Amino acid sequence: MSSKKLLLSVFILVALAQLYVPAKMIFDKEDTLETGIDYKFITAPIDPTDPFRGKYIILGYKDNVSVIDNEKDWVSGEIVYVFLKNDQNGFAKIKSVSKEKPTDNQDFLKAKLSAVSNDGTNKLTIYFPFDRYYMEESKASDAEEIYAKSLQDTTQLTYALVSIKNGDAVLKDVLIDGVSIKEIVKANQKK
Amino acid sequence: MLKDLQELVKAEVISQNTADKISDFYHKKGEDSTNRLFIIFGILGAILVGLGIIMIIAHNWDELSKTTKTFFALLPLVGGQLLCLFTLIKKQDSVAWRESSAAFLFFSVGASISLVSQIYNIPGDLSSYLLTWMLLCLPLIYVMNSSITSLLYIVGITFYASETGYWSQPQSEAYFYWLLLLAVLPHYYLLFKKKPESNFVVFHHWLVPLSIIISLGTVADKTGSLMYIAYFSLFGLLYLVGNSVIFAQQKTRNNGYKILGTLGSIILLLTLSFDWFWDALRKRDFQFNEVITSPEFFAAVVLSLLAGGLLLFQLKNKSIRDMKPVAPVFILFILAFIIGLSSSIAVVLINFFVFAIGILTIKDGAKKDHLGILNFGLLIITALVICRFFDADLSFVFKGILFVSVGVGFFAANSWMLKKRKTNE
Repeated sequence: MSSKKLLLSVFILVALAQLYVPAKMIFDKEDTLETGIDYKFITAPIDPTDPFRGKYIILGYKDNVSVIDNEKDWVSGEIVYVFLKNDQNGFAKIKSVSKEKPTDNQDFLKAKLSAVSNDGTNKLTIYFPFDRYYMEESKASDAEEIYAKSLQDTTQLTYALVSIKNGDAVLKDVLIDGVSIKEIVKANQKK
Repeated sequence: MLKDLQELVKAEVISQNTADKISDFYHKKGEDSTNRLFIIFGILGAILVGLGIIMIIAHNWDELSKTTKTFFALLPLVGGQLLCLFTLIKKQDSVAWRESSAAFLFFSVGASISLVSQIYNIPGDLSSYLLTWMLLCLPLIYVMNSSITSLLYIVGITFYASETGYWSQPQSEAYFYWLLLLAVLPHYYLLFKKKPESNFVVFHHWLVPLSIIISLGTVADKTGSLMYIAYFSLFGLLYLVGNSVIFAQQKTRNNGYKILGTLGSIILLLTLSFDWFWDALRKRDFQFNEVITSPEFFAAVVLSLLAGGLLLFQLKNKSIRDMKPVAPVFILFILAFIIGLSSSIAVVLINFFVFAIGILTIKDGAKKDHLGILNFGLLIITALVICRFFDADLSFVFKGILFVSVGVGFFAANSWMLKKRKTNE
């Protein structure tokens, strides 16, 4: 094989690898969206001073704490497997947390520990890997305002709709009292 | 110019043959510089167009369906790949084509991953994103023989090391960085052999040492004070590399190794000329086993051995008197460090080192009749005096006398040198 042919074959391999990475991401997420199970996570107020917000809103979650037997067995930043259940109102709650990947057909979520208590309360805070909701650039700041207001208003219920399959999660939508935040922004901007 | 040549030929100052040679020379030189401009604008254009397209897609058009958005997210990537393929088949000999199509593809790879993340609301982890991006672009340096990709890649892996080692919580090791850096060195070496004077080589001379200086700190774990030895030895090593025969022909401003090595050594010495570091060092209780197995110790030993070896090699053909004052600083520092573990005299030693480097540099400048070197020596002394100014336990009178004498020193040294030059003329 001439050196030019060799170079071309190597380049084609590299190009395939470059295509493979985003393609794999798309297929995995599409698979989770199509065959995963939907959960509703109630959101919580977020730190309003966070300066690194562009065209997405940052979501915080209310029920992200789990109680375990001994806090000394856990390290902040480690990867854990979270089992979920639905409460009587249909919102997701943490059932339990494990260090081992489950082998049976249970639904679980792969996540990181964002904090571990060190005062004997044996609490784990879990970082849910779906804390960004991207919006169209022109709508993001409006959406953020609406989102922040809805969190202060106790009569409104804000939650994230998330598809979960085999540890992977995809954030589908953010809803305020059952209406997508995209629709609310659109309606507000038309006014 | 051409008119002048004709005149000179007519006046029989030069022959027609010489005149032809001269006009050929300038013709070729002109071609070279247009070629260079073409490369620069090609790369700039490719980067701007690439970034522009990415920003338009990043607007995240709500009206488009997810499939359409995904299609557009992958479009720059496929476009860049086709451009590179075209270059490889048709324009392989054109530097401008190779560099600009590779630069475009470099950014497209990063953009496609981040745009897909945006479409599916994936927060993602910055350091693994950077790592994936750089690994996917590393082969382009060699396949496309592209130096701009190499430079962007060095920036990218440095960012990756900093993100992993300094900025993310919890911090973790970025050992992978060293392998990634190693992977780019063959390109650097070949480039240096082929075109030692080219701009791309000069940029590498600056970026490679800078990247190492930034990333070395990510090694630090629990015995951070050993990092000072590692850094001194790194600066010593960089200085010696910059001082070696390979760089003898380079202009000083193109020699990043020498400049960064010198400045690094002196700034670090000035920082440690205060008492706080030595105070803490004396109170620190080192456990032998803990030290020996620490990554800082490993880094310090490896770098000191490398620098020591290179120093010995360079001294083999020269007498010790020819040694530049900055070269042995790392060895002296190791001595001072060992003394400083138990005695407070180390800080005096450091102050003496800075002072001695200043004086020797002034002497060197005077010998070489070089105003730049002379004044650099004076600047070192001034910096030392300013540092001592902040130490509260010196009286104002003493500080005042110090400042006046340094100021007088500046005037005296410069005017003496200028006078010497005049009498020589």
